[in-house]
Amino acid sequence: MGIDRRTFIQLVTGGVVGSLFTPVIWKSLDDAAIWSQNWSWIPRLKYGAITEQASVAKFGAAPCAEIVKSVGGSPYLTRGNAENEMSKGGVDPVSASGPQLMYSPSRVNGPMKKTAEGKYESISWEDAEKLLSEKLAAVKGQKGKLAVVSGDSTGTATEVLSGFAAGMGAECYLMPSDEQGAAAALASMGGKGQIGYDLENSDFVLFVGADAMDSWGPVVRNQCVYSASRPTGEEIKTTYVYAGPFLNCTAAAADKWVPVAPGTGAIFCLGLAYHMLKAGASASASDFADFKTLVMSRFSPDKVEKATGVAGAEMAAIAKRIMKSSAPVVVAGSEFAQGAGAADVIAAAAVNMLLGRVNKDGGMKILPELPKAVDAAEGHSELVAKDFVGYLAGIAAGKVAAPEVMMAYEANPVYALPQNTALAQAVEKSGFLVSFSTFMDETASKADLIMPNPTCYERFEDAQTPYGVGAAMLAASAPVAEPLYNSKPTVDVVLGVASGLGIDLGYESADAVYQAKAEKAGADWDSLVEGAAYVSDSTESGSIKFAASVLSKAVAMPKGGEIALAPYSKLIFGTPTVAIPPMNVVVISKYELLGKDLMVQVNSKTAKKLGVSEGSKVKLAGAGGECAVRIHINEGVMNDVIAAPLGFGHTAWDAYSSGKGENISKLLTVGTESGTGLSVWTSSFVSIA
Amino acid sequence: MQQMEFDTKWTMVVDVDKCTGCGACMVSCQAENNIAPMEEGSNKLKTLTWMLVYELNNGKEFPNREVAYLPRPCMQCGHPACVPVCPVVATTKDEEGGIVSQIYPRCIGCRYCMAACPYHARYFGWLDPVWPGGMDKALSPSTSTRPRGVVEKCNFCHTRLMDARARARSEGLDPNKLPDGWYQPACLEACPTGAISFGDVKNPEHKVHELVKNPNAFRILESIGMDPQVYYISRRDWVREQSDNHVAEDKH
Repeated sequence: MGIDRRTFIQLVTGGVVGSLFTPVIWKSLDDAAIWSQNWSWIPRLKYGAITEQASVAKFGAAPCAEIVKSVGGSPYLTRGNAENEMSKGGVDPVSASGPQLMYSPSRVNGPMKKTAEGKYESISWEDAEKLLSEKLAAVKGQKGKLAVVSGDSTGTATEVLSGFAAGMGAECYLMPSDEQGAAAALASMGGKGQIGYDLENSDFVLFVGADAMDSWGPVVRNQCVYSASRPTGEEIKTTYVYAGPFLNCTAAAADKWVPVAPGTGAIFCLGLAYHMLKAGASASASDFADFKTLVMSRFSPDKVEKATGVAGAEMAAIAKRIMKSSAPVVVAGSEFAQGAGAADVIAAAAVNMLLGRVNKDGGMKILPELPKAVDAAEGHSELVAKDFVGYLAGIAAGKVAAPEVMMAYEANPVYALPQNTALAQAVEKSGFLVSFSTFMDETASKADLIMPNPTCYERFEDAQTPYGVGAAMLAASAPVAEPLYNSKPTVDVVLGVASGLGIDLGYESADAVYQAKAEKAGADWDSLVEGAAYVSDSTESGSIKFAASVLSKAVAMPKGGEIALAPYSKLIFGTPTVAIPPMNVVVISKYELLGKDLMVQVNSKTAKKLGVSEGSKVKLAGAGGECAVRIHINEGVMNDVIAAPLGFGHTAWDAYSSGKGENISKLLTVGTESGTGLSVWTSSFVSIA
Repeated sequence: MQQMEFDTKWTMVVDVDKCTGCGACMVSCQAENNIAPMEEGSNKLKTLTWMLVYELNNGKEFPNREVAYLPRPCMQCGHPACVPVCPVVATTKDEEGGIVSQIYPRCIGCRYCMAACPYHARYFGWLDPVWPGGMDKALSPSTSTRPRGVVEKCNFCHTRLMDARARARSEGLDPNKLPDGWYQPACLEACPTGAISFGDVKNPEHKVHELVKNPNAFRILESIGMDPQVYYISRRDWVREQSDNHVAEDKH
């Protein structure tokens, strides 16, 4: 019997069908599955009691009150603390990876000093404090020899640093933020305290520049308030309008986006004021007449349209809509939460004053400062108003002598300042740079001495009245976990060193300082560490004026005809203090970072004008430096504007953030605001090649 | 195709108009489900993001451009395309409130399910997961770690359902009739704008029971009949139109 084709097929088919009835195939598949999943190292999950503890996270741009979940004492997850008024629930995307950041490869494991060869060697805390004390003793009482900069404007830790600087006869600064312009604005208007906005009781919120849903003010709180005003499936209670050059997260969430050219927020507000004054709006401020004259003569619809790009009819419609609302509020700030100066806030305050919305529910509030815990410290508003960028610009220009010692607390000035190339060099000119950083950031990488601060989960922490909230408040937290590394709270270091130098700040430990702060504010410490926030319902009495004379100098019409830079900031990319967290890398859009190339965004009309297309590699040049970037076409950008993300181009940190993209801060041009003398950098122009 | 119906149907409703695209849900999902960090995030074909926030736009030129953000977990379809194509039955739709499960040790990495899923909600682990610098000490005890070579996906943080049921049993309640809010996925818990609602759509006491009936509620690619358990709500016509692969020139 021969094997013909039919017999062959029958045999093969019979074999295949038959094999399905044996366990061999299935066992092999099962084994293949197991073999394919053999990996060299299998991480073991940690089991144990799951606990929850309230904490105040300071990873994000603003303090975030959250509940930290731990297993066997190790934090692994966070969620918002809805019971805490400071952030009202929810977490920001940096704080969401807070427990993982505790284990970041960028953590500094212990105190280190730089050797003569430029490398770092570990030293004991005793030696580190001795070295610091020696350096400080040499400059004590000598003006200009010591500078202190803090990246945390809400913590009492900064108050300790301020008191210490005062005892040393030195200056203490804060890293630049929108709060600086607001403090200068309030001072110009004759007010004292801190500007805040009662968004939850407003029925019409106009954000001018301020990217409230991603970088401006208490972001998580803003988002929660926004959410509460529009319950899912129900009617909208509050209308949100965003005015700015880029369709950012706030503009996307708002009911309307009004494209406004970068750096012209004050002109936009005064353009609104023009229509309101024309409709008969007035206020009882002493310089109302001057203000009216200024607005009617210099901010007519045609001039405003030329500067901002907003047509007169649209401006009139917005003004009408605001005036029709029963509880409107206007909030001004920079699109990237820094560098706007005072004019924008004064102009927005002017609109609020014309609306009669100052110190009213749902309006602009002037909040009292909480009592100081450290008597020698400067008042919060005085501290905030100091111009660190101006100080460094003076050093860079050779007009001011570089300090012999500079102390940077939770601040990364080598990376995060505008006109970065020049100002980072000014920081490095310090004779002895000390970094109190948790992470090996750019400033720590240049420091002569690194004294690592534990993360906010490993130390006592507090937060008072973050800029932008509508009421004075205080929150605090106790450590959630044991310190992982050989770190020491900076407050304890400073108190110890101060004592050795004969400076009595009144306390012996960090937790004693925080408890005293709570006590002086009238808050219950135990409630605070359990997760509640102390909230004061008082506001500053007394009237404010329009600061017309300041406005007339500070607001200048742009020349036009140039390509403007519109930087934007997203918490996914980290903050000025924390680089891109490892968990956030995959969240970044491929239209913002492609491989190692930074993407900047222009609309198709601008792209055509510039002769670029999607993916084109170009070089942006500003007054402070150059950046090589790629182009992404996005119709959510104004004509003649390049939107560029901040937060990239790190040179230190770890593989998750280092060497990715470019630091757009290099392109930001620092100027001086007439009338206030503040350093400003929201109006930067670039050339493209 | 016959649809399996269960007494409980866990359903997510996302208010697209409230999502600001902040990304907190994506980060929180990674932390809860032990998704290892990746150094290279641009290669979206190889990254793992069980929850993914898409950016939508209305297609118009400046100044008429509008943007919306659409968070996309696994849709836990009523007629899941991924289940019948799995040769080793590593994925099933079962009685856990209609959640489509994924059994990692059984998966042979053939990726048929990924090819079948119209929502691109399934992810293949191309790379060995690495938790650097002791970051493995911050692993969640809820979710097993997975090696490379298997397909993984969102499971509505299923272990939280187990925890909620255990709590109900300990408090003398019916574990199959959980009160609203007792079972919340990590993405919902993190979301600052409250864009995500979650619950049993068959339980009239749960908020989602009414939300899915909202005139602005819709499901993605509804016309292909997957019957997803994730609903979206938007007041904007263009957002709803894009949900079903709407092409402007098409007549509907």
